[in-house]
Amino acid sequence: MNCTELRDHYELYALGLAEDPERAEIRAHLDRGCEVCMAEMKRAREMAALLGGSSASVAPSPKLRRRILASVGVEQRAFGWTPFLAGSTIMCLAAAFYFGGREWDFSREVLKLREESRAQIIELTRLNEAFALMNGADTTVTTFGEKTPKPKGRLFYNPSMGALLIASNLPQAPTGKAYELWLIPKAKSASPVRAGMFQSQSDGTVMHMMHGPIDANTTAAVAVTMEVDTGVDAPTGTPMIVAPLAPSLQ
Amino acid sequence: MLLLPILLAFRAAEADAALVVRLQRREPQALAELYDRYGRIAYSLILRIVRDTGIAEDLVQETFLRIWNRVQAFDAQRGAVGPWLLAVARNRAIDYLRSAAGRERNSVEFEETDRPSLYTDMEPGILASDKARVVKAAIEKLSAQQRQVIELAYFEGLSQSEMAARMGQPLGTVKTWVRAALKTLRDELGAQAVSA
Repeated sequence: MNCTELRDHYELYALGLAEDPERAEIRAHLDRGCEVCMAEMKRAREMAALLGGSSASVAPSPKLRRRILASVGVEQRAFGWTPFLAGSTIMCLAAAFYFGGREWDFSREVLKLREESRAQIIELTRLNEAFALMNGADTTVTTFGEKTPKPKGRLFYNPSMGALLIASNLPQAPTGKAYELWLIPKAKSASPVRAGMFQSQSDGTVMHMMHGPIDANTTAAVAVTMEVDTGVDAPTGTPMIVAPLAPSLQ
Repeated sequence: MLLLPILLAFRAAEADAALVVRLQRREPQALAELYDRYGRIAYSLILRIVRDTGIAEDLVQETFLRIWNRVQAFDAQRGAVGPWLLAVARNRAIDYLRSAAGRERNSVEFEETDRPSLYTDMEPGILASDKARVVKAAIEKLSAQQRQVIELAYFEGLSQSEMAARMGQPLGTVKTWVRAALKTLRDELGAQAVSA
């Protein structure tokens, strides 16, 4: 066949649709370098390429590029490690955040327990001191408030250790107020001496200790008034409790 | 403005030629650049044929390896690496379809794509996006039957006899549609090339 007879078969050949004998003829022409057929085939292949390029564009996965390059021995180490490093960093940050938070929680818990322990030690010390005073050989006990509905209680007095006031029915002082203890001197001309401040418990009980020696020769009684919570130099109201220091004085 | 597409096409051809020279020197980075330039279009074509993303990626990998292994026979100054790569991509995909369907492989086509020297002196920048618009416009001028036979031939690799069986039409009718479709495409694309 000559090139003219093959004219309608070049595109078929380029698309793989040519059939023998035209297919074999075109191939033979191309093999012997026929310039007419080479030019026609170039045009036919251009058309096939155009058809191939007309497909809707779709992006392959980013992994495909790495796969292809790896298959010819190109290792994209820096890029390949990036996701691993990024993942590790995120995990480390999450762990640091988590354990940091846990450590902070633990710290708070330890601090709270330490505060509770300190309060318990203080309370235990107070009780020990109170028991020591109550069990002291020289300790005397007086009661007060027995004839009135409230408040009432006992005063334990030890000349060398001090005095312990235990009372009930003593209402909680309102905000800004507190109870103040006074040592009432025997001498009429002398003024009451400040002996500390305290608050009663929510159930109206109180246990308050006055540390240090108290001279029973000069002190007649212990009194309690409600004052401002910063304290005052002299009692301003009627005493809510007046307890003689020693039974002999009752 | 008319000179702009020509200048862009000329630059694309120059860049392709330099890239082929680097591929022939076995520079792996050149393969990376070839993929960046033609990977998406090859994947799109193969995916349209096989309709499976995993298989399409395998076939794209085969295509680029085949180019890498056969590039020494390519004429860097006269060659058109894009059309050659697309021809290889299409043949890999059609071969997969034929194997999967138990159909005969087209050995002539495979020999053709193994001869890159045949892909020379083509129009520079033939795969530029403006060309895709031109060919789409040309395809739209085909009748429904003509468009179907072109798609069955190009994207499914069916012979004319297989198309006749698939469409339930006489072989002669199918051949008439194929020839008419190819003539329309030839005329439309030729006219566009002249007007460009």
